[in-house]
Amino acid sequence: MAAKSYDNPELNKKLADQRYHISQSNPQFTKDVIKTSRTIANMCYQCGTCTGSCPSAPRSTYRIRLFMRRNVLGLENEALTDPDLWLCTTCYSCTDRCPRDIAPTDVIMAMRNLAFKKDIVPRNFLQTVQLIYNSGHGVPNNDVNRAARKRLGLTADPPTTHMYPEYIKGIQKILDHFGLKENADRIIKGE
Amino acid sequence: MHEYAFFLGCIAPNRYPGCEASSIKTSEKVGIKLLPLEGASCCPAPGAFGSIDLTVWYAMAARNLVLAEQMKKDIALICNGCYKSIWEVNHILKHNDELRSQVNEVLKEIDMEYKGTIDVFHLAELYYDPKICGIQKIRDSVTTPMTGAKVACHYGCHLMKPQKDRHFGDTENPMWFEELVAAVGAEPVQYRNKMQCCGAGGGVRGYDIVHALDITNEKLINISEVGADAITELCPFCQLQFDRGQIEIKEKFGDVYNIPVLHFNELLGLAQGMSPQDLALDLHAVDCTPFLQKVL
Repeated sequence: MAAKSYDNPELNKKLADQRYHISQSNPQFTKDVIKTSRTIANMCYQCGTCTGSCPSAPRSTYRIRLFMRRNVLGLENEALTDPDLWLCTTCYSCTDRCPRDIAPTDVIMAMRNLAFKKDIVPRNFLQTVQLIYNSGHGVPNNDVNRAARKRLGLTADPPTTHMYPEYIKGIQKILDHFGLKENADRIIKGE
Repeated sequence: MHEYAFFLGCIAPNRYPGCEASSIKTSEKVGIKLLPLEGASCCPAPGAFGSIDLTVWYAMAARNLVLAEQMKKDIALICNGCYKSIWEVNHILKHNDELRSQVNEVLKEIDMEYKGTIDVFHLAELYYDPKICGIQKIRDSVTTPMTGAKVACHYGCHLMKPQKDRHFGDTENPMWFEELVAAVGAEPVQYRNKMQCCGAGGGVRGYDIVHALDITNEKLINISEVGADAITELCPFCQLQFDRGQIEIKEKFGDVYNIPVLHFNELLGLAQGMSPQDLALDLHAVDCTPFLQKVL
């Protein structure tokens, strides 16, 4: 397999270095991952069943087992800055097969949550937030679809926030409570 | 008549309205009434939204649950992604008091309270459940059996996995979906790696489309190998990935399959005598005509 190479030289160097540096370890990271993922991630004994079950592994450098190890060792920066973090399709095959009864998928979800707190997040995830904030839907209606819906005897807009936009205010209040839209706008603008 | 609040999600009503129309009509023929869940939103998408902040994901899904609680109806839905959000958040909040009070604190701002009084079902599991509908009732409702059609079943991920939290049993080689497909008169075919993901989930379709399509391509190779005339699934997002994905795979990799992709409710609709026009099959990216000529 070809060596992993990204535009970021510092990251390349870090990924090439296979040694464990205690200075890079953050024990709090392990605790945060366990708390957010609600799974016993520290019990991983590195058997690799997860990577063997993973549909993303054969076609990329993404290795779920590596992320499990990074969690145990508290290698926060290495885990959160690796672009492979976002290649998990959350299919839960690894979770179903894990002999230690861990949910590696939820570990990835927790790491993504923690990455977002550091503004590390691909654009498409933020766009979903913006779409939901504005319309209530991650995939909003369009004119072609409205015409088709009428043809089927359905209402042009579905009886969701599309037909009852008065409900959107409640959604915006929830998102604003967490400052999510604000953060998404800020990160997209700063790019 | 069993009544349920029909949670639509996004892709079914806004991209494949035939899924919505067929669900309402087919379920009515087997004694299930789907009522509109007014003001519902995106579930929100477990991968694309949950990846950013799970706490907000809980609160947003709880808002949809509260709408159904106010109707005093259980939720029925037709999408695996929605099932993951709506079923799982309902399950977690019912069993985790700390999380529930956190969520309710947020919901208080919009005068709502999550009480945990309803349950959430995928329409397919209601079809399969003999206490609600059952295979025999599905078989009896069929007027145009899909005889002679080989159909590949795609279960998707988020309905049955993770196994230990769900109640569907085996996730390595389940057969209950095949029973439903056989009930509409089609021949369900087995193929390699049946339980593999479609590739779209977890925000990967938006993040790295070539990677997502490569996973889809592997499934399509396995499905075409056994000569399937169509793919049927339980999730409009998988449907989008297989359907539009075939066009994108043709552009990006040059591989051509032309296998029509139908939601199980669309298939059941055809079998109950709905016309392709009633299902807006013309909105599908892959032409369904060869399959329709075979079965109608």
